Amino acid sequence: MKKATSISRRKFALGSAATIASFTAAPAIVRAAAKELRVLTWEGYAEPDWVDPFKAATGADVSIVYTGSVDEMFAKMQGSKGADFDVVAFDTSSFKRYMDSNLIQPIDLSKVANAQNIIPEFKSIDAIKRDDKQYGIPFAWGSLPLIYDATAFPTAPDSWTVMWDPQYAQQMIALDDANNSIVLAALVLGFPEPYNLTDDQFEQVKQKLIEQKKLLLTYYAGFDEGVKLFADNKLKLMFSMGEPQVAALKGKGVNAALSIPKEKAIGWLDCWVISAGAKDVDLANQWINTCLDKKVGNLLSTKKSYGNTTDAEANKSIGMTYGDRLAWLLTPENFEKRVAVWNEVKAS
Amino acid sequence: MERLLPRVLLFALAACLPLGLVLLPIGTFLVLSFFHMENSQIVPSFWLANYANFFRNWTYLGTFLGTLWLCTQVTAICMLLGYPIAWFVWRRSGTLRYFLLLLTVLPLFMSYIVKLYTIRSVLGLNGLLNQVLVGLGILEKPSLLFMFNQHAVLGTMAVLYIPFAILPIFLTLERIPANLMEASRDLGASPWSTFRYVVFPLALPGTIAGALFTFVLALGDFVTPQMVGGTTGFTFGRVIWSQFGLAYNWPFGAAMAAILLATALLIIALASYSASRQRI
Repeated sequence: MKKATSISRRKFALGSAATIASFTAAPAIVRAAAKELRVLTWEGYAEPDWVDPFKAATGADVSIVYTGSVDEMFAKMQGSKGADFDVVAFDTSSFKRYMDSNLIQPIDLSKVANAQNIIPEFKSIDAIKRDDKQYGIPFAWGSLPLIYDATAFPTAPDSWTVMWDPQYAQQMIALDDANNSIVLAALVLGFPEPYNLTDDQFEQVKQKLIEQKKLLLTYYAGFDEGVKLFADNKLKLMFSMGEPQVAALKGKGVNAALSIPKEKAIGWLDCWVISAGAKDVDLANQWINTCLDKKVGNLLSTKKSYGNTTDAEANKSIGMTYGDRLAWLLTPENFEKRVAVWNEVKAS
Repeated sequence: MERLLPRVLLFALAACLPLGLVLLPIGTFLVLSFFHMENSQIVPSFWLANYANFFRNWTYLGTFLGTLWLCTQVTAICMLLGYPIAWFVWRRSGTLRYFLLLLTVLPLFMSYIVKLYTIRSVLGLNGLLNQVLVGLGILEKPSLLFMFNQHAVLGTMAVLYIPFAILPIFLTLERIPANLMEASRDLGASPWSTFRYVVFPLALPGTIAGALFTFVLALGDFVTPQMVGGTTGFTFGRVIWSQFGLAYNWPFGAAMAAILLATALLIIALASYSASRQRI
């Protein structure tokens, strides 16, 4: 699931050169600095645009380690029980395992003045709370929307059920991903907790997905693969991997657009957290404070095309006005079960 | 003693490669297949539950059998097409023969993924085949019939693996002494009898090797079915793949990989046994 969104995010990343540079530069920084913030994050979340002002304001050095996958990030944190990093950014679906393993600590919002900048839809996210304590600060977001050919649909489809319409048989593709497929089917079936399904609900989800299977041209894995299949085969609809696929399709001459149907779409929300092994919690708070500056939110949207959590106008300028209509990723009840159900659908 | 030591060291050094790069990873996998998961952690144990789960669950067993059947079909196609091609190339003389042989193995110089994309762009909706058929008036509009179904999987895999069938068949054909064929003809055998009683038995080891190559390669290929097979392109390799990554059930994945490995080894053993019995 996260893999899917992270690939799309890579599209906007600066490239691996930055990663290498940060890796090689890190030891030098460690030696030189007295006060230092150690950041573990995705590319694009610690840009000079806000890292430099942070350094100037605090006099601290910043060492940044970029990660390639959620699993790698968790392994790095678990390896040192959090002692190697001060702040980390990951998405809502990872919180459970970090909290279960005691790798992160609650954040005292009174020490983060800019927390008041957070726009309403991101103020109370259950996934990042436990026992009334907040463990994460929402920072960047995106979704897995319904992408459609606007020539075939003059008005945007307002329901995912369009992807179960035989009229569009063989003109649709869906993401090959166990968790995302099951969450989407659960949303379509109207289940209140798509990340926590009963056995009976699993059975209904399975039937729903099998019903859709024969209408799909194929399942796809990978950002570019989806775009290529859509463009090459003149498709009408797709369960997409993220907003950037619309731009990629337009680049191939497809009149593509996205819709967030009434059943909601899956959303990813990356948050800043403070490591349990943070050396300087105040410095970590200051970092989060910097990231919640409206200017940073603006840059995140205008330069990187991510949804941000502080500047609603910037979100609007890139069309990302649907933060309140997404089902944020959560740790599912049983990942193995989800993989097994998805395999049953694919083998049916 | 003085001479023994360097030799032992040299042997140990040479043994490191296959030991470290082949046996050790496979061994790790086999050991892992007996472990089990507890609270999302891999716990060392000696459980046969992973294997039992595989045989009890029709999704997995059925996909496995389906994959074996698919590979059998691919092998049959490669043999039926590859044998005549190898024969044809073998019957040419001089430079032409080796030029044709080079042509048949030329696809092996190309990346597998590039070939897949090429095939897809030939057979796809806007592909060459559809353009030609529409241009000739055979089809009214481009059809999706050639892509994203089981036929596409069979055709694509046959194209990908046929060089592995042609090459060993050609090599054994080439080793048949010309005077054996002449003797057969002199003794009044028809071309068919010569093929049936002289050429075919002599070329059998290469034929079996070719079939084996295509079968085992097809068995491990889960990318092709997925890329050209549409929603039906689900094979056993993909089932194994699904147990890694976020699913994080390595022991079950390892058990199924061990079953795939055992199947491949069994087929290789059977083939080499029948090949050795045929030796004249």
